[in-house]
Amino acid sequence: MTATDARDALRTWIRERNPDVPPGEPADGTRIIERRYLTSLQVADLLLYIEELRQAPVDPHRLKPGVFASIDSIHAAFFE
Amino acid sequence: MDALADTVRRLSASSRRTYQNPYEAIVWPDELAHDQWFTSPELVSLYGTPWWDELDEPAQKTLSFWEAVNFYSLNIHGERFLMEGLAHRLYQPGMEEVAEYLHHFLDEENKHSVWFGTFCTRYAGKIYPDRKVAFPREYAEGEEDLLFFAKVSIFEEIVDRYNVTMGRDERLVPVARQINANHHAEETRHLVFGRRIVDELWRRWADRWPQEVVDGIRAHLDGYVSATWREYYNPDVYRDAGFADPWAVARGAWDHSAAVGHRDEITRFCLRPLLAAGVLPS
Repeated sequence: MTATDARDALRTWIRERNPDVPPGEPADGTRIIERRYLTSLQVADLLLYIEELRQAPVDPHRLKPGVFASIDSIHAAFFE
Repeated sequence: MDALADTVRRLSASSRRTYQNPYEAIVWPDELAHDQWFTSPELVSLYGTPWWDELDEPAQKTLSFWEAVNFYSLNIHGERFLMEGLAHRLYQPGMEEVAEYLHHFLDEENKHSVWFGTFCTRYAGKIYPDRKVAFPREYAEGEEDLLFFAKVSIFEEIVDRYNVTMGRDERLVPVARQINANHHAEETRHLVFGRRIVDELWRRWADRWPQEVVDGIRAHLDGYVSATWREYYNPDVYRDAGFADPWAVARGAWDHSAAVGHRDEITRFCLRPLLAAGVLPS
């Protein structure tokens, strides 16, 4: 999966759960927690989606603060 | 608070009367073969889906073992959240009247985690990790307590539906039946306490909150129900049971009509206390 594919997949996942987001949002650097595009209750579901995209499990014990702040930070943590 | 105080006295007396040593309550075999039922087949997350039908009975039983490990693991994580929250509230302002029972609640939850942890580590060699993450946020006065006890109520009501069924299921290996039966016996008190304190907190605070706080609580609890159920469809389980693409199985099972119907039926039952209290709109 290319970097663009992964970012677009994450963007689509967020948009599906936030049908009211403006066109073009969330951008790669948009602060998705501050904008409430991502809630704490959705993180487990997002992790499963990330695992499926990567076809590899994520170790939740190794998650660092700020990892879900934006599409950029998610990409850096799980797809690079 | 009279009704709540009476409940606290009654439940505390019951906890003292039935106090048990967690290290003697369960008979632990040295080893367990996986070709036995550990979860009632009808409660296995894939039941009623094509992925269940494609397994022969020994493979279904093996899956039922990993489903039990997942059920006990999510209980360990749920009870850790619960114990942290109960300990945080011991003797805090507004919680003085229930402190006596919070001690029993904490004690019993710790015992349950001993049972769940012993099974997982002894027979599976692991506990499935928790994928939940909590972001810091602001709360209106009283909102955090209400949300805490309402979420505990949802979590425990769902778990108890499983415990009730599996505690009576003669097909299950005895240790699995004992864990579920013993857990249900003590959870019955916790459910009574949870219903009573949620009712009390809602009556105390709901009229003082602006509508956006009430709406936020209801939206959060709706999301919590979904997030709680999501843990029952764990790709780690499907990987250990031998499925080649465990994430596709998890996604497919979650969306399958049999699973949706199963969740809806149990959820309707488990939300009745919150509906009755007015926390959730009827």
